Amino acid sequence: MSLEKAVSVTINGVARQLSAPANETLLDCLRRHGHFEVKSGCEKGDCGACAVQIDGEPVDSCLTLTWMVEGRSVTTLEGLNDADSPHPLIAAFLEQGAVQCGYCTPGIMIAAEAMLRETPDPTDEDIAIALSGNLCRCTGYTKIFTAVKQAAEVLRAGDGND
Amino acid sequence: MLREFELDLPNDLQETLACLPGGTPLAGGTNLLVDLRARRESAERLVWLGNIDAFRKISIEDGRVNIGGGTTVGDILRHSDMPTAAPSLDACARVFGGQMVRNRATIAGNVCSGSPAADMVPPLLSLDAELCLASAAGMRSIPLDEFYSGFKKNKRNRDELITGLSWAAPGPNTANRFYKLARRKGDAITVVGVAVTVTRDGDKCSDARIALGAVGPTVFRAKEAEAMLNGETPTTELIDTAAQKAMDQSSPIDDLRASGDYRRQMVQVLTRRLLTEAWQALGEKESGR
Amino acid sequence: MTDQETPYRQAEANVVLRQVGKPLERTDAKGKATGRTRYAGDYTMPGMLHAKVLRSDIASGRLKHLDASKARALPGVVSVLTAQDLPDRLAATDMPGQTGQKRASTDRQILVREIIRHHGEPLALIAAETPALADQAFDLIEYEIEPLPGVYETDAALEPGAPIVTEPDNVVGEYKIRKGDTEKGFAGADHIIENTFHTQFIEHAFLEPEVGLAWVDENGVVNIRMSTQVIEHFRFIADALGVPHNKVRILGAMVGGGFGGKEDITVELYLALLAQTTRRPVRLAYTREDSFVGHGKRHPFSVTHKTGVTKDGKITALEVTISADSGAYVFLSPYVLLYCAVAAPGPYRVENLKIDAAAIATNNMYTSAFRGFGAAQACVAYEAQMDEIAKTLGIDRFEFRRRNFMRTGDKTATGQVVESAIWADECMTQALEALGEKAADKGPVKIGRGVATYQQSYGRITWFHDTSEAWVGIEVDGTVIVRSGVTDIGAGQASALGQIAAELLGVGLDDVVIYNSDSAVTPLAGTTTATRALYMTGRAVHTASTNLRERLVAFAAQELDAQFDEIDLANGQAFVIDDPSKSMTLKDLASRGASEGLERSELAMFRAPFTDPIDPETGQGPVFPDFTYGCHAVDVAVDTETGEVTVLKSVGAHDIGQAINPQAVEGQIEGGALMGQGYALSEELIYQEGKLVSPSFSEYLIPTSMDMPDIQCIILESRSGLGPFGAKGIGEPSLTPVAPAIANAIADAIGTRVFDLPITPEKIVRALREADSI
Repeated sequence: MSLEKAVSVTINGVARQLSAPANETLLDCLRRHGHFEVKSGCEKGDCGACAVQIDGEPVDSCLTLTWMVEGRSVTTLEGLNDADSPHPLIAAFLEQGAVQCGYCTPGIMIAAEAMLRETPDPTDEDIAIALSGNLCRCTGYTKIFTAVKQAAEVLRAGDGND
Repeated sequence: MLREFELDLPNDLQETLACLPGGTPLAGGTNLLVDLRARRESAERLVWLGNIDAFRKISIEDGRVNIGGGTTVGDILRHSDMPTAAPSLDACARVFGGQMVRNRATIAGNVCSGSPAADMVPPLLSLDAELCLASAAGMRSIPLDEFYSGFKKNKRNRDELITGLSWAAPGPNTANRFYKLARRKGDAITVVGVAVTVTRDGDKCSDARIALGAVGPTVFRAKEAEAMLNGETPTTELIDTAAQKAMDQSSPIDDLRASGDYRRQMVQVLTRRLLTEAWQALGEKESGR
Repeated sequence: MTDQETPYRQAEANVVLRQVGKPLERTDAKGKATGRTRYAGDYTMPGMLHAKVLRSDIASGRLKHLDASKARALPGVVSVLTAQDLPDRLAATDMPGQTGQKRASTDRQILVREIIRHHGEPLALIAAETPALADQAFDLIEYEIEPLPGVYETDAALEPGAPIVTEPDNVVGEYKIRKGDTEKGFAGADHIIENTFHTQFIEHAFLEPEVGLAWVDENGVVNIRMSTQVIEHFRFIADALGVPHNKVRILGAMVGGGFGGKEDITVELYLALLAQTTRRPVRLAYTREDSFVGHGKRHPFSVTHKTGVTKDGKITALEVTISADSGAYVFLSPYVLLYCAVAAPGPYRVENLKIDAAAIATNNMYTSAFRGFGAAQACVAYEAQMDEIAKTLGIDRFEFRRRNFMRTGDKTATGQVVESAIWADECMTQALEALGEKAADKGPVKIGRGVATYQQSYGRITWFHDTSEAWVGIEVDGTVIVRSGVTDIGAGQASALGQIAAELLGVGLDDVVIYNSDSAVTPLAGTTTATRALYMTGRAVHTASTNLRERLVAFAAQELDAQFDEIDLANGQAFVIDDPSKSMTLKDLASRGASEGLERSELAMFRAPFTDPIDPETGQGPVFPDFTYGCHAVDVAVDTETGEVTVLKSVGAHDIGQAINPQAVEGQIEGGALMGQGYALSEELIYQEGKLVSPSFSEYLIPTSMDMPDIQCIILESRSGLGPFGAKGIGEPSLTPVAPAIANAIADAIGTRVFDLPITPEKIVRALREADSI
């Protein structure tokens, strides 16, 4: 008997009600509700493709049960792609050619965005540690690092004028 | 896909303890949910601990560090005092999993996972951590050193939770180090994990601790090796001998990551290196370098 | 062409390039960077069913019985298919040819009828209303497998009495190459050095597991939305279903990584069968565990080199013996074997050559395409051998290579004259230069430097008579459309075509939209494999664009009252070169042209060189259209007490003819650098009695961001390739030399060699111990 519950959660700034049984992962639930930008790569926390932020903290949505996000806010890549002010990571990834097959990209953006909030001037080591749970098979990570540092610079320049 | 189960989401310790009998505690889920999906474990009812803020508190008072059992590895990594309050634990957190797993994996969960490769356990043992367990019947304390009784066996009763861990923060004459040997640099299962603590008393070593992970049925302290160092001046030869003894006390298996033979050798190498490094760090401090 | 005619570093472009050669933002990048791009698993249809595959959990056995009745009886389970339900058809596992040429029979059972030959071989297909129900049905199927003796080593598979996995004798393919007189060559040698090198099973580990969605439409056409490198598989699927070819349509989606692992059929046939049976849309998404056991792996190879050299370091003779583990089914093994045999000597001059290669069947997982396709494994052997020989002779390793490099105009091992520049030497020089000074050893940590140069083909085997088609058109408003079947697996295969069309038609890449990867609607371009997409489809687009351009220029000349060769197209304009004020917009040109019946589009086919198969006794004859040459160089730090290896710097220098998009080329080199690093150091699929012990990313370790070294790319452009604008391919070349370079660097650091990949810390410690005890 799979008892479904209505879970109130804010997704990318919009209040939603998701109906899910206890055993449904947030990954499956989000995708069922049309959030295809959240990718499934391994379903066991090894690859990071499914990463989303819960209250700003990146977690693997494959290891999160939907009921756990009741009353919280969830951010996916869509949430970083605000129409008026998309996150500088997006432009940086485009400019640096940091996207190849693109399948790891949403999870990497989620992990990188959180890291940049905590570490506005990251070293390569900071970036490596922040992204070690996001596997990429195409890029060798090189341009991803360059893009993250470029985004960091843009963010610092933006803040500096306040 | 996860099989069906009931899921409790208690909001405080009392509620949690009431749920526990007949329920399986679920902390970060980075082990349990994986095992449930793979059908290595089964559970009819899970009790999620993630809503209990009290479990995630970190405090340092009078040289004693207290962390809630629900403290995540990410919390440890982000806490600005951890590099001094728990150097080995902080070093371990840096190479633990990836960011997302760190944000969920809890210290209590890692301690209870039972795997001899549980990363956080050697550092905690090297810090001589105490566990605080709570059940509906009350609270009790047990040194982590006495917590494991065999391969994947520990002294937590089914209706108990590890609500907290505590240890004495290393003082100015104590060095605490950690190294994880694995098959790649990021996010990998430990092949050999070593954490050491040495305290300097004049030119003698006291209170040496050598904690070894992934080289026996449980994480353990190489106490015979520690005894060799206590009260002595750790010369190169003595450190070598102690490292050799630590190696002799290990009983690693062959698995797909490494052979027992290699692991044993690495116990010697890593123990020697960490002891040397730790002792030298204290020496430099002493001579004001 | 000789080296005197094409100076090193860069040949002059003979046309002005405005789009090509620029690091433009790829057409697919924005969708991916904003999460809007849909991959095959992101498509749904109302009423779709969810499928699951039941697999054998042992490698060799007899399926004694299988009872799906309980599963079928579960409400919400719509279909369970077993071999009993399938028409007596087989699935072809061969490379799709363009012309339906005869091929060796490689057909295999779709679902297990009786004999199980590898771990994970499919027993049944389930389609249910929800994934949870499919899961439950999975648990309700009852079956019994009787284990049968299996064979898991190629040597054992050839012994008399060995279980026969592939009739008649487990030998799946053989090749011979004979050139000159090796006996004489060895007689003239001062030293004969013999070594055997081994490589391991590895996994592609693309981040997107195999997935597709199939439905049968109102015309009875089986449509499959699919993550694949090859939409031409529609023919094999039609044959297996027993329907005409024009009744199967594959709509390729953006692929989340392929690397050869999505080159063979994966879930297409299961989807098609279930869609046909249920008459409903069906979605099948592999779990990562399915992916680990459900598609072919890289062939492990054993390669023995016996080389005769003079004391001055000239190679006088080479004998190579090659053995590959083909696993349980043939798939592409004969071709992988051929690639290895042809590449076996490396980019070196060898007059006297004897190569014998065999691919052997076992009950291990079947092996098939993987970036490098046999030539990568060959490089592991020949570059290690080059270093070993230099060591024996006491000659500098780089100098020894220089004395033996092939030079522009030389012939390959099969006697094929290479038409393009051979810049292996220059690439090696630049790669070494980029490494700079070697760091100093520190305590137990020793620094080592290694290079590997290579020859890697681009374009498919020439007796396949490969072709590729593309359509290019200009709309009445001056915007451009490209249509081609090419599948985009992440390297920017589609965008490159847009860049070429933009260049020739005088527009920006922003003005081009590319429709690709639909087997019924886009002209078929052939597979995205064998480093052929840019070469073949780029040429097709180049031809189509050029032909269209000529018509546009002729019309503009008329309109602008000028001569044909006075006109150029650029920035959305047609203009007189010497008087740019005389111009018209492409929009005007196209719309006026349209009203005058100007043909505004062109369909072009590009044909690779067509040859006959090589001589079966001597292996002589052309095999590939052309080859890329280059060098990868690395510095490593080896902790000699723990065996841990840190790659410090990793440099890839490749002559790619002409970079269409240099940023994309760098992306390939960087990605290849890390994939090769995993191959060298940490990746290994472990099979016990043919069973994959751990189908998971926590045991199968690909490099993470923390394993990434400082990677540098050096792009050389000889403009001598057969691709558009003189391009050569980079997809596989960027990977091939990396693991060999790392292996050589480690040997340099520790003074002894580990002869089998991966070079794990434990193997290094053991090798050092053994070397010490000698």
